Amino acid sequence: MHKRRKTLALAAAGTSALMALTACSGGGGGDGEGEKVVTWVINSLPAAWGSISAAGGSVYTVQMLSGVLPYTGQWQPDATYEYDLNVLAEEPTLINEDPEAGPFEFSFTLHEDAVWSDGTPMTGEDLRVTMMMSASPTEGYCTTCDSRGTTGPDMVEEVEVDGKTATFRLKEGLANPEWMAMFDAHSAGGGFYPAHLAEENGWDVDDPDQLGEYYTWLHETRPEWSGGPYQIVDGDLENQVVKEPNPEWWGETPKLDRVIMSYNTDEGTFVNAFQNGEIDGANPAQYSEDVITQIEGIGATLTVGEGNIWEHIDINTKNEFLSDVELRRAIFTAIDRDQIASRNFGAGYPDYELKNNHIFSSDSEYYEDHITDSGQGSGDIEAATEILEEAGYELDGDTLTLDGEQVGPFRLRSTDTVVRSNSLQLIQAQLAEIGIETTIEMTDDLGGMLGGTEYDIVQFGWSGTPYFTSSPQQFWHSESESNFGGLENDEVDEHAIAAGTAPSLDEAAEHANAAVAAVVPEAYSLPIMAEPNYFFVSDRLANVEDNLQSSYRATYNIGEWDIAE
Amino acid sequence: MSETKVPPAPRSTDAESVGGAERTQLQMILSRFVRHRAAMVSLVVLVLIVLGAFLGPFLWRWDHLVHLEIPASVPPGPEHPLGTTTAGHDVLGQLMRGAQQTLKVAFTVSIMGTVVGSLWGAASGYYGGRVDALMMRVVDVFMIVPLLVMVAAIAGNVRGGTTWYAVALIIGFFAWAQIARVVRGVVLSLREQEFVEAAKAAGASPSWIIVRHLLPNAAGPIIVAATLLIAVAILLEAGMSFLQFGIQPPDISLGQMIGDARTAASTRPWLFYPPGVLLLVVCLTINFIGDGLRDALDPRQTMVRR
Amino acid sequence: MLVYTVRRVLGAIPILLLASVLTFVLIDVSGDPLADLRMQQPPPDPSVIQLQEERLYLDRSMPERYWLWITGIGGNGDIGLLQGKFGPSTQSATYDIGENLFLRLGTTLRLVGAAMVFALGLAVLAGVVSAMRQYSKLDYTLTFIGFLALAMPVFWFAGIMQQAGVGFNELVGSQVFATIGDGTYQAQGQDLWGRITNAFAYMTLPTIVLMLTSFASWSRYQRTSMLEVLNSDYVRLARAKGLPNRVVIRRHALRTALIPLTTVAAVGIAGIIDGAILTERVFQWRGLGEFFIAAVEKNDSYALMAWLLLSGVLVILANLIADLLYGVLDPRIRYE
Repeated sequence: MHKRRKTLALAAAGTSALMALTACSGGGGGDGEGEKVVTWVINSLPAAWGSISAAGGSVYTVQMLSGVLPYTGQWQPDATYEYDLNVLAEEPTLINEDPEAGPFEFSFTLHEDAVWSDGTPMTGEDLRVTMMMSASPTEGYCTTCDSRGTTGPDMVEEVEVDGKTATFRLKEGLANPEWMAMFDAHSAGGGFYPAHLAEENGWDVDDPDQLGEYYTWLHETRPEWSGGPYQIVDGDLENQVVKEPNPEWWGETPKLDRVIMSYNTDEGTFVNAFQNGEIDGANPAQYSEDVITQIEGIGATLTVGEGNIWEHIDINTKNEFLSDVELRRAIFTAIDRDQIASRNFGAGYPDYELKNNHIFSSDSEYYEDHITDSGQGSGDIEAATEILEEAGYELDGDTLTLDGEQVGPFRLRSTDTVVRSNSLQLIQAQLAEIGIETTIEMTDDLGGMLGGTEYDIVQFGWSGTPYFTSSPQQFWHSESESNFGGLENDEVDEHAIAAGTAPSLDEAAEHANAAVAAVVPEAYSLPIMAEPNYFFVSDRLANVEDNLQSSYRATYNIGEWDIAE
Repeated sequence: MSETKVPPAPRSTDAESVGGAERTQLQMILSRFVRHRAAMVSLVVLVLIVLGAFLGPFLWRWDHLVHLEIPASVPPGPEHPLGTTTAGHDVLGQLMRGAQQTLKVAFTVSIMGTVVGSLWGAASGYYGGRVDALMMRVVDVFMIVPLLVMVAAIAGNVRGGTTWYAVALIIGFFAWAQIARVVRGVVLSLREQEFVEAAKAAGASPSWIIVRHLLPNAAGPIIVAATLLIAVAILLEAGMSFLQFGIQPPDISLGQMIGDARTAASTRPWLFYPPGVLLLVVCLTINFIGDGLRDALDPRQTMVRR
Repeated sequence: MLVYTVRRVLGAIPILLLASVLTFVLIDVSGDPLADLRMQQPPPDPSVIQLQEERLYLDRSMPERYWLWITGIGGNGDIGLLQGKFGPSTQSATYDIGENLFLRLGTTLRLVGAAMVFALGLAVLAGVVSAMRQYSKLDYTLTFIGFLALAMPVFWFAGIMQQAGVGFNELVGSQVFATIGDGTYQAQGQDLWGRITNAFAYMTLPTIVLMLTSFASWSRYQRTSMLEVLNSDYVRLARAKGLPNRVVIRRHALRTALIPLTTVAAVGIAGIIDGAILTERVFQWRGLGEFFIAAVEKNDSYALMAWLLLSGVLVILANLIADLLYGVLDPRIRYE
């Protein structure tokens, strides 16, 4: 089949010029001659037009708003941070970083030429209103806002707006080492929103009820506004959005005449549609070995790299058997991480790398390997058996017992994706080697299963960004709502809190690593690896690359996209 | 809907099919079926598949689970005649288990649907009048709801792992209406016949008449419909699996294997083709057998055909 | 005929009501619309859950809720079929179930309609040809294709068709067929010819996929009933009278043989809607299928109810049309 298709492709090569033309016109209605049109895939339906809300905002919403929503900076594909100096007049300034000496204070100044697409200048007021909409309702700015990232905004005590500049002062004693993230591409909204449209529609942003109405309006109305190189001219939340250059954009003129972003929920259709010229590329959310292999065969640019969701195995410490740390260590030692990773990803991503630090990836300057030396995740059955024997467990035939009673069976759970399903089945086989019986139960309700601790051993993913300071507290603090398996360790608690409130990133990182070092001997959470994400783009396009650091993925530099000469 | 015409269901209205002639009639049916070559071949193939699905796992060394010794994504070879999956399943082992689970679902649905449908249809036809009207309204209700939709709505709502019997029960609950219609049609024409009158006069109870006299005489259409229901159930289960509302891993069904391997057609054909082709063959043979049974059990139609 | 139609429509109401009770109860007992919210991390405030319960009327008993769903009396003005409201959605407070449903109805009807028309047309053709050339090679081939089609999972066949479409495009070097989307956007601003080619590009593959199963079973039916009619006394009589074969087939035989098919096709629309859900998924059409899948995934009971009600109405309408056609086709009424 494959072979035949290649000969067909050869036969068609002579008419490839014609094909490129039709591929173009397949992209949209009423094309003029030689228009530069690109069709890009968004891997799911965005639930709303706004990206702040917990119910509506997702990476898909953010990608749909790419080139429309302005932001102050973002992490680049090579993991360096860059401020967006189209939007900002200068790098934002940290006025006071020592909470002992006075309120933690910083300011952003927007670019002099920065305007919204209706000509209204962007001002510090836009930042202030975005901050207010991103905070918790309990902060009193907005009654009905349900932001998906309230940590930073909730720290703010007061904002002072002076023309293009907004200055933020935090509440007493609070420090936010990641203050620059407030309006960048990784913030709750993925950027900042206009403030003047509230007034235009008759809402007063300083009235909590009316700000709520504006917030709802932003999430329900297709943006006619834009603060980026493109603006949305057509589209819906079901099929696609269509973007054309924003005439008021003050930066470098975008190269494309039209970008169509079509929503596609089925990876199974990618290869055919791509081969058929219906789509120019995609940055899918999930890894698919077969799609990768097929795209490689077609001849396009394809990259695979570690995404920002990292998979890990957690144990419920409240289980009567699993409360024994020796048993947990033996289980983690018997699990062969390399086997899980190589079977799942080896074919499409042979350069995979196991994750040896819960908080930092190996390209971070703060990275330290905490896992390898512990022997956890090595699949060393002998070592695992030894741990068990020393702790008084016995093998009765093929069954592990403690005081004559069978250990387990344990509920081994996860959501039903191909990768996780494979992984659980491998873990089941690996644990059988040390006599532990597990029953696999899939769920489609991850939140419910975790929240109710309805598992003994679970695999799930945390989404990581280069920002890290609040992670240890969220993952492992004994009072954290997301410490699902009930870890209680004073040392961990101490370092987790310290990491979140340290005034500098270096100090925060030190505490974060200390927290990791304290968690590993507890055998509570075993990181496997970041699930690889792939990206492909037609050679027809230029300047398109994946940014795995950002929710925007490949659309992060949409303003620079071009058709190859 | 009350006056919707029932499709001309194949029915055996002949009074000759009652009473002492049973033995010869059975022989006649058998010989007619044997003469239907496609149906005979299909029957043999289906029996082989069923045997393979239920006995195969005892003979083959790998089951449907992951084993650490099995290498990942190996094409078919002497060790693994149908290759292996990414995680390390033996595809032949999976295929046998998958076929077994799929067939279990299908047979259960067919039995459930046939029992419920025949009794319901026969009672409705026998009592007639208001009872009939009411009972057929219920059938109409089940007929206007798209089957896959209803089944998926219920299965999708049931949280946690779905097992084969859950899937079978859910499909079976909605799949009996068609049979009820067919049986009612047959019974309507039978109940005025002399042998029913005679049984009534002899004081037989309605349930006795339905079970002893009416249903045996409707056996032809019932068997045909039950056979075809097997194929319907198999395809429904596959559809559910595709929408991810079917049997959950690590257990497996043919539909789930097909759904999982949908993107593998040109990259790893050994994952794509075996479950698809097997499902196709199973459904195909069942349809041919149904066709053969129809010919064999319905002399009137056979007369037309020959 | 008008009286008959009105009587039929009135007769359908109790069936729909009964169906709605059945589905309402089943959906209600099988899932909790707030399951996702209750289990959210961090756990939402009890007041938030209570607010949602009140919004979705979950604080009332099931019979009360059903009554409310029908009449809307005592609700917040967003529920009550009699008032044209389908109820609140779990997906968001402002998600209008009715609006979304009817928005998507057009997309699905386009697909289902095209599949119905082509399946019927081709089934009649294939059935008649098969019956007239009984036991010929053509008959056997058509029979085998029919059986094959009946044995194929829709989504499996859809994938194969997409691949075939792409292969064809590459062979001729032009994008004749499209594999994803319904082409509405691409048709914007096109002239008539552009719209026609566009519709052909986007609709051909999904229509073939969706019509296949129905075509297969209907052509079998048509063949059988055609055979019966061809062997009936009155066709023999017509032939004996010396009428030309073509007249006999078209005037007498075909018309009679179409009657059972109309009924079968009307009942079969439920099956086509089933197939449409799978087809829409594979071809990425945003029709009722996607609406339904989203409703199931989000435990959106009222959206599911609205969906089932609509499909019930469609099936009943199809049956009504079949019955009216029946009158038109019946030779005892129109026999000349």
